Parts: sequence; structure tokens; C-alpha cells
Amino acid sequence: MSKLQETVDIYKKLKAEWSKRPCDLNKCGGYLSTLKVSLTQLSFLPTSNTSASTPELILARDILELGAQWSILKKDIPSFERYMAQLKCYYFDFSGSLAESPFTYQLLGLNLLCLLSQNRVAEFHTELELLPPKEIHNNIYIKHPIALEQYLMEGSYNKVFLARFNVPAESYLFFIDILLDTIREQIASCMSSSYTTVTVAEATKLLFYDNQSKTKQFAEKHGWQGDGKVFRFSKTDKGDDRCVPIATVTQHLLEYAKELEMIV
Amino acid sequence: MASKTQKKPKTEDVPDVEMKDTEAQKPQFEIDALTIEDIKDHIGIIEKSVVNKEPRFVLRVLRQLASTRKRLNDAVLNQLTKTYVSDSYEFKANLLSFFPSADSKDEKPHARSVLTEIYIHLLGLISLLDNNRLNDSIPCAQALINRVMSVNKPAMHLLGARCFFYYSRAFEMTGRLHEARTLLHGRLRTSTLRHDSEGQAMLLNLLLRNYIHYNLYEQAEKLISKTTFPENANNNESARYLFYLGKIKATQLDYSEAFKNLNQAIRKAPQNAAIGFKQAATKLLVVVQLLLGEVPERHIFRDQHLRLSLQPYLQLTQAVLAGDLAKFSSVLERYSDKFMKEGTLTLINRLRHNVIKTGIKSVALSYSRISLADVAEKLQLDSPEDAEYIIAKAIHDGVIEATIDHEKGYMQSNDSANIYGTNEPLKAYHERIRFCLDIHNHSIKAMRFPPKSYNDNLEDAQKQREREQQDLEYAKEIAEEEDDGML
Repeated sequence: MSKLQETVDIYKKLKAEWSKRPCDLNKCGGYLSTLKVSLTQLSFLPTSNTSASTPELILARDILELGAQWSILKKDIPSFERYMAQLKCYYFDFSGSLAESPFTYQLLGLNLLCLLSQNRVAEFHTELELLPPKEIHNNIYIKHPIALEQYLMEGSYNKVFLARFNVPAESYLFFIDILLDTIREQIASCMSSSYTTVTVAEATKLLFYDNQSKTKQFAEKHGWQGDGKVFRFSKTDKGDDRCVPIATVTQHLLEYAKELEMIV
Repeated sequence: MASKTQKKPKTEDVPDVEMKDTEAQKPQFEIDALTIEDIKDHIGIIEKSVVNKEPRFVLRVLRQLASTRKRLNDAVLNQLTKTYVSDSYEFKANLLSFFPSADSKDEKPHARSVLTEIYIHLLGLISLLDNNRLNDSIPCAQALINRVMSVNKPAMHLLGARCFFYYSRAFEMTGRLHEARTLLHGRLRTSTLRHDSEGQAMLLNLLLRNYIHYNLYEQAEKLISKTTFPENANNNESARYLFYLGKIKATQLDYSEAFKNLNQAIRKAPQNAAIGFKQAATKLLVVVQLLLGEVPERHIFRDQHLRLSLQPYLQLTQAVLAGDLAKFSSVLERYSDKFMKEGTLTLINRLRHNVIKTGIKSVALSYSRISLADVAEKLQLDSPEDAEYIIAKAIHDGVIEATIDHEKGYMQSNDSANIYGTNEPLKAYHERIRFCLDIHNHSIKAMRFPPKSYNDNLEDAQKQREREQQDLEYAKEIAEEEDDGML
């Protein structure tokens, strides 16, 4: 029990440091790593054989939640993912014995957004299946990433941009900014395939930049042709469609011959 | 000698006839007696399979399980337990207490093999589940599994697989499915080591069902990637496996793979039965096909067994085909509870952008030049800016051939290329040939030949007639009972 008390003391220190504005991130990180070590001596990673006591579980969960939020402030995505992976077992597997934490859906929503910003859509949907349908439709933290995913699939990029202004929590901004960079790339490839010409001013608007110099930098990176005022996109011809793909056809025919031989 | 054990019970038909004097009770008595006779037959077959080490015989008994289970009742089970389960069987007393019966003859149990005892125990479990006595079913199932686990005989594999199915079912019906997971995992390992392909197939499916029940698609995916489904598993099990596989792939956006799996699952499902399974698989298939941007064939919706349950999906298809966002939303709203219950809601939510895509496609086909504002209005988008981005993406994804003039705010469609000038027909044709060849290969693999019979001399006419008679019987049984395993 004394071990638990010790851990609680460090946790209180961490909590105090965390609630200071602005807080010292490095100091918090230090506390977090000590806490993680002491947690292993409690029932941090519960297995089926040991039954962990509820206060221990709640303490571990609170620490992990702080850790996840700390990683966002540190802009450390791998560390965030690690914390989330550990937290998920507290959220889902212990849902029967633990009271729901107020941060649950905020962090799960963040996790969704994190996957989305890295374009890991398959995992995004797998995670989504785990959530109860009621929360998917009503919880603002969850609804936000889902709406974003839909905008992305449709191509309503300006809605994604607008979504930046009504995030449910401050921590979401970090991932949305990453997302915006990804989107710019997508818009750029859409632009080059659908426009013949576009003025620099318009391109700036389309790419959600606030001034033209950034657009010009961006254009340079993508090798867009232009005379300083207008970008021109030349259409590359996909002419090879017309000829017969000899190799594939031969391969197919050989396959058919082999199969037919087996049948006859 | 095997045929002797089979025939023996038939001589005992006499007592049934004599019972006719008690008029009022006659029907129930008679039915019970007949049931017991049939089960005696089954036990004969099971014994035969143990003696001959030929697991196939057990399959015959299991095939009749569907009709047997309808005729079970307390009296029958009590009598069976008394007659066939030896006193050393630990669970005998419990079985007797589950199925009390006032007037059953006290017989000294014949010495039988473990398999017979397990079969009776399994019948007991099934009866408990059918009569919704869920509290009794759990200990009954656990005792059954303990017994099954202690036996390692080839004849046990088929029966054991069935026992696991009802074990998992008992947990599912009590809402404690997750508790069964650990044991199933352990058993999967054991049956893999014992080359028990029946058990492997069954346990894999049970585990997948278990994971999908709790929406744990990640774990299910990992399980699939770490295991191989036994090739010689029976059709029902592989149909089920393919269905789960399709479901997992669809969740992970691998629609073409999901489509392939689901299609095969439906093909492998029994022809005239397992309607529930086919409905579920077809529903999923329709959604996956729509997500792929293909149109499900009209005849799917006309099938008499599927027509009613597919009604919402038909409306959904129509909305997607028309590219009508308003209609899509209204269908979604009206049936959202139904979709949620069937587990297709999340997939259907992803259809939204397909609706928009088809909308854009038809606009691009019908207008050579149209202003962005008009497109937004036609597709019920919020603003011309939205429309511009969406069209740009559609062009980028190759949905339409067009260019956008940003300054003047219109979209100009290019002349559509003649599709027969491209390689598309080649691809489509190849796809179809591939499919036909696949069917052929699968059906050849599915055939079974008697071992080594090509050496035997030709049988004489008498024997041939007998064998043909028997074959006909088997065929009838198979046709009637194949649905049994499919829930």
C-alpha cells in the first residue's frame, strides 16, 4: 500500500505542475517517467491472474491520460500512440468495473484524428467500430473527426479548413494542422489535373495560404510552371492506352491454356 | 459386424406396438420411443465409427442433428442418460437432475465408448439451449468441454467441433461470449497440433465470431494473418469463414477483397437452406458492391427469400445510382436502426461520397459546360466552393474527364473516350474467365473419392444395387440436413 501512496504523491506533484500555466513540459516528462516505473510495481499491466484494485487502476489511467496530453504538447506522435495503446485497455476492457473518465472520448477522438492525419484510414475505421454507436452520433469529440473523414473522402476541402475554427478541444489543433498540410498536397495534385490555368491569387485562396509568397514557395516545390501571375498546367497525354499490352495478354492466354488442359 | 449393431435396435420395435392399449398417452409415448430408437441407431453408428476408426460415420449422425434436436424432451434424455451413460461419468447425476422424468426404466448402463456419452451429453446441452434454460447450460457446456478435451481420437474431431459450437453458443446466449475466448484459443492450438482440421475450422470461426461480436476487428485481423484455414474443412465452415473474412476486409476498406470473399461465401452456402446466413451475406455484399462503385444485379433483390429483408438495401441502391443525396439521407434516416442492428451502418455511412460521385458523373455526361453554382445546386452541396473542390477531386480520381475554369467558374467536360478502344474490356473479360475457372477448380477440389477403390474389382449386380440404394439415401439426407450447421 505504501508503494501506492508514494505513486499518488508523485502524481499530485505532476498534477500541480501540469495545471500551472504555462507548465514546464520537461519537468512533467521527468515526473511521467518516474511514475511509469513505479506503476510497474503496482498492477499497471493487469493480466488475467491478478485482480487489480480499483484505485490502482484509476491512478494508472489518470497518469496515462496526462501522459497522452503531454505528448501532444511535446508534439511527440509516437509517444502519444504508445499512451493511447495502453489507455485503450483501460477504456474498453475495464469498462465494466471502472467509472468512465471525463477524458475518455476526448482522447479517443484525438486518436482518431491522429490516424486520419497520417492517412491511416483503415485503422481509423477499425477504431471507429469499437465505439458505441450512440457516442458516434452524439459525442462532439467523436463527431468531429468523423465529419472530417467524410469531408476528406468527398473532397470538401474547404470544410476541413473551416473545421479548424470549431475544434472541440485545443489539443485537436495540433493534428488538424498536420492534416491541413496533407490536404494541401492533395489539393495541389487535384489542381494540376483539373485546371489549365490559375492565377497566383486564386491559387493562394485555394490552398488556404494567407500570402502569395507562401504559394510561390509551394509551387516551386511542386515544379509548377508560371510567369509570376499565372500558373499553367500542361496536360500529359495518356497515349499508351491505345496499344495492346502484349505481355499481359500473353500471360493470360498461357494461363487459360494451362487451365483448359487440366479440364480436358 | 458393423451392420449388426445397427440392426439390433430394430428388433426392439415390438414393445412400442404393445403400448397402444393406453389410449390417451399413446402419441407422446410413441414419439418418444421412436426418438429413442433413432438415437439408438445413431449410437450404433458412432460405436461403429470408433471400432472401425472411420470418422465419416459420425458425420452421418451429426447431419441428422437438426431433426433430432426438434424431438428431444426431458423424458427422452433421462432415459438415454440412464441407458447409455456409465456411472463413472462425472456429470451423469447433473444430467439426470436437469431432465427429471417420473417413469423411466432404471437400467444398468451398457458399457459404451466415451463418444456415446459425449453425444448424449451434447444432446442434453442442445435441449437446454433450445428450451432457454441458460443458467443450466453453462455448467453443462463446461463439463462437456472438459470431457471432450480429454479424448484424442480421430472420430472425436467431428463431434468435438460440434461440441465447441454449442459451448460458444451457450456463452453467446447468456451474453458472456468474451469469457469463452481463452478456452477457444487454447483449443485451437491443440487441434492444430493434432491435425484436427474440423476442430480448427470450427474454432477459428468461433473465435472470429467472438471478436466481431465485440467489434474487435483489429484482433480478428491479426488472428487471420497468423493462422491458416484448413483446406479440407467442410463447406459450411468455409462459407462462414469467408463471410467473416469479407466483413473484416470491408471494415478495413479493402472492398475488392471483401467482395470476392462474400461472393464465394454465398456460393458455398447450402442451396436451399441457411436463409439467414444468405440474407446477412447478401446485405453486406450489396453495400460492398456499392462502395466499389458497382451496381448490384437486379435479380439479387428479386429472390423470394431475400426480397423482403433486402428492401431497404434496394432503396439505398436506387439512391446511390441516382446520385440523389436527399433520397440517400432519407433512406439512411428511416432505416438507420435496422442498419445498425445488422452491422452495416458504418459501411453505409461511407457511401455518401459515392452518391456524390455518381451525381457528378451524370452531370458531367449530360452537360458539356455548366457553372459551379449550378452543380452545387443540383447535387445539394452547400456552396459553389465545395463543388469546385469536389469536382477537382473527381477529376483527379478519374471519375470524370473534365477541366475547371476557375475564373469564370464553370466546368467543361471533355469528350468521353470510347471505352472499347481501351483495355477495359480485356480486363473485364479476364475477370470473368478467372471467376469461371475458379469455380471449376473449387468444385473439383470439393469432390470426394473413396480411398483406393480404383484397385477393387467390379462389384456384382446385387452389391451394386445395394450401394446405389444407400447412396440415394445419403444424398437425400445431405440435401435435407445440410442446413443444420448454419445459424
